[in-house]
Amino acid sequence: MKRRTVLRVNGEDHELLIKPNRTLLEVLRHDLHLTGAKEACGIGACGACTVLVNGSPVNSCITLAVDVEGKEIETIEGLVQGDHLHPLQKTFIDHHAFQCGFCTPGMIMTAKALLQRNTVPTEEEVKKALSGNLCRCTGYINIIHAILRAAEEIRKSRDAHD
Amino acid sequence: MPMIDFKHVKKGVRRPDGELIVTGRAQYTVDIELPGMLYAKILRSPYPHARIKDIKIERAEEIPGVKMVVTGKDIGCRRFSFLDTPTSPADETPLAVEKVRFVGEGIAAVAAVTEEIATKALDLIEVEYEELPTVFDPEEALKDGAPAVHDVIEPNTTTAWEDFGIPKKIRSYKVVNNISNKTLIEYGDIERAFKEADHIREDRFVIPATSHVAMEPHAAVASYQPTGKLDVWLSHMGYEHKRFWLAKLLDIPVSRVRVHKTYVGGAFGGKISFFPYEFIAAYFSKLTLRPVKITLSREEVCSVCPPSRRMIVTVKTGVKHDGRITAQDVKVIDDVGAYRSSSPTAMYLTHTFRNPIYDIPNVRHEAYGVYTNKLYTVAKRGHGMPQMSFAIESHLDMICEDLGLDKVEMRLKNFRKKGDLLPNGDTLRSYALPECLKQAAENIGWKEKYGRKRFRGLGIGTASMFSGGHNFPFGSAAIVRLSHDGKIILYTGQTEFGNGVDTVMAQIVAEVLNCNIDDIIVHSGDSEVCPHDIGNWLSAGVFISGKAVMNAALDLKEQMITYAEEGLRIPADGLEMVHGWIVSRSDKTKRVSFSDISKYAIQKAGGDPLIGKGYSKCVPEVYFWRGEFNKMASLSSGKGRFTEAYGLAASTAEVEVNPETGEVKILEIVVADDCGTPINVTSVEGQILSQAVMGIGDVLFEEVVMKKGMVRNPNLLEYKIPTAGDIPKIISIIVDSYEPRGPFGAKEVGETARAAVIAAIANAICNAIGTRLYTLPMTPDRIQKAILESERK
Repeated sequence: MKRRTVLRVNGEDHELLIKPNRTLLEVLRHDLHLTGAKEACGIGACGACTVLVNGSPVNSCITLAVDVEGKEIETIEGLVQGDHLHPLQKTFIDHHAFQCGFCTPGMIMTAKALLQRNTVPTEEEVKKALSGNLCRCTGYINIIHAILRAAEEIRKSRDAHD
Repeated sequence: MPMIDFKHVKKGVRRPDGELIVTGRAQYTVDIELPGMLYAKILRSPYPHARIKDIKIERAEEIPGVKMVVTGKDIGCRRFSFLDTPTSPADETPLAVEKVRFVGEGIAAVAAVTEEIATKALDLIEVEYEELPTVFDPEEALKDGAPAVHDVIEPNTTTAWEDFGIPKKIRSYKVVNNISNKTLIEYGDIERAFKEADHIREDRFVIPATSHVAMEPHAAVASYQPTGKLDVWLSHMGYEHKRFWLAKLLDIPVSRVRVHKTYVGGAFGGKISFFPYEFIAAYFSKLTLRPVKITLSREEVCSVCPPSRRMIVTVKTGVKHDGRITAQDVKVIDDVGAYRSSSPTAMYLTHTFRNPIYDIPNVRHEAYGVYTNKLYTVAKRGHGMPQMSFAIESHLDMICEDLGLDKVEMRLKNFRKKGDLLPNGDTLRSYALPECLKQAAENIGWKEKYGRKRFRGLGIGTASMFSGGHNFPFGSAAIVRLSHDGKIILYTGQTEFGNGVDTVMAQIVAEVLNCNIDDIIVHSGDSEVCPHDIGNWLSAGVFISGKAVMNAALDLKEQMITYAEEGLRIPADGLEMVHGWIVSRSDKTKRVSFSDISKYAIQKAGGDPLIGKGYSKCVPEVYFWRGEFNKMASLSSGKGRFTEAYGLAASTAEVEVNPETGEVKILEIVVADDCGTPINVTSVEGQILSQAVMGIGDVLFEEVVMKKGMVRNPNLLEYKIPTAGDIPKIISIIVDSYEPRGPFGAKEVGETARAAVIAAIANAICNAIGTRLYTLPMTPDRIQKAILESERK
């Protein structure tokens, strides 16, 4: 039985008629055409489908869409502000922090959640935060550098505004 | 090495397409959705070996939303394979026709309006099987009387080679003792050399299959038009191979099959061959005239798509007291599984990739591909090299331990030299392996640290790799077009699967024309728009296609200079290209823009739009045409030319082992890679780091665990790959040897290092525990067991 569900994604409400067994990832990709989040394992083991729900990273492939009704959902598509890339997006490009790019949206969303709760993460804390996001291409090192650098950028821009 | 002041190559260049990736806009095959699309699913065999007695599809067909159901019988014996030569005819079919040969082989397929309906329909297909005797162990499979996985393989099409003009006719292949293919390479006098050796040692290694784990699962979208045109979107490594098989199996002209450009979410060799699901998508689309998509689940990728090759390697070596190697006898048994796939190539590569490393005058290399009732196997980053480097470098370490030799010095003593002519006629024009090993040893602190601390160990590994070869489709071309706004449009058939090849090709054009890299628009990976291309295999990309791109840019440059000479009335040698202008060397005020050169040629030269063309082949003198053959490599005898340039790498590693738990802590990995000129330094470093981390997984965690023909760990919880928390200190060193035949001195970089790192970590672990493991991965329980056994002795 389909159910009327309102999902708030990247600040916009979407009214949907969906079956309760559908995952958030399916709904984002097929109903809302937000294909940045990817399915790579289907069992919550790789993090390629990571999106933020009320600021926390979740594996959208094992999250039911109906369970996140009324919550703030953020996907990679919501990160760009006008023409401006998010600092994480910039540092991922500058630090060559992707190769095939398939895990990148999930990596960036996980990193965003980390930097929201910890503005001065250590290398170890970054590694720990990324432990649920698999990447087969980069060897992670450039991803870690990009995140540490983005943290610095965000701190600098906050200091400039204070 | 020529000192060249490069402006655009040998630099760290950011990927111009990076914004697509970090914003989630890069489009992969799994992201393609077309109006009216159907979704296909494949029913798979639960048995490793069984005759299909009957299939009933009626109940599945009746489900609302199901548009079509097919079985192997409907499709018939349309054979294909990764390798398909007159002596090794194709042995796969899209779906099993008479019998299944491994658990997971396709039996039937459904196309429906949703994936959910297609999956439901699969449950309603009834298959009656008659189970057959099975064979899982390749050494058992070789024995007389073992169950036969194949009988006679009857080819029913011509091969790619015949289509390209080779006069050899394909013949049927009678399988005896489950042998799918054989390679025997010999030179020197091995018997005599063993007799004269001071020390002889023999060891046997067993290497399991590992999964590629490209993050994007295998997927295909096909859309057939009533006009006879097939459009496909694939997750792949080169379109010529894919469209060749689609055309042949569906009876569509090659030029009417268009492989569209997509981003590819990783490949590592695992997406190299043509797959049954790709055929199924196209077949359904051709019959339903609707777009069809098929996306494999991770479980399917792990259990029905081929992982790396499983090998048993026995190596016997004769040495002199001083450590000089005089003879080596290698025997490889390749447990190919149900289908041969790339085994004939791999078995030749198990010799030819090790060949440029050590100068061994007397060699015998015998390799067999053997059919078993298991998941078939294929190339993975280094194609056979990781298995061989692990075996041979472990074996050499043991020889050094037997004779009390320094492991670095012994290797340095046996390395080949720059300029050496190999037994097959290849020349080592660039060769910095000794320098690589010296730097890797020095950086890890070999002299200071070796043997100093208990349960700490140091290890070395070496590896090498072709920069392409004379494999189908044999060569690459490129087109470079000057647009009338002064921008340059490049067409190359290369596939961007994370290697950064689009950026590298743009750098090459920018270097030739000395213009801004942002003024180059790259069209790649589209078989209809881009020219003939060898694909991104065997590390051919930069060396062959990059050379074609360089030649195309040089051709365009010459044309542009000719018109500038005419327009500016300055001789060609007095002109240079600077940031989109052609400028007089002596008077900088005399100049013409790229844009104006285009307009000038269109106006004054009969509409000439200025298009440069370039092409390249790995070894230019190798060819076949009708009855003529020249220096072609033989996969079975190792004669003929292999490649024009070898990439090389040496690695060292330091580890610490906890003797109580068997756990390994990797303290440091050093990789020194001789890749010629690194065109994009950051991409090259990325390739090296990537391989080092993949190597950690190979040694510590990864194995496709099989029991009775079933993959027991077909998911990313039970199959562990390295995570961010597993990364030690890694030092990557680029040893730029300048390869004279490569574009701007470049050669292979994406595949060698992995094998060197695997051998280095494995040797370091064995050095730490003072005993040997002869298999991978080196898990804590295996290490504990080895320590206990050695203590008992």
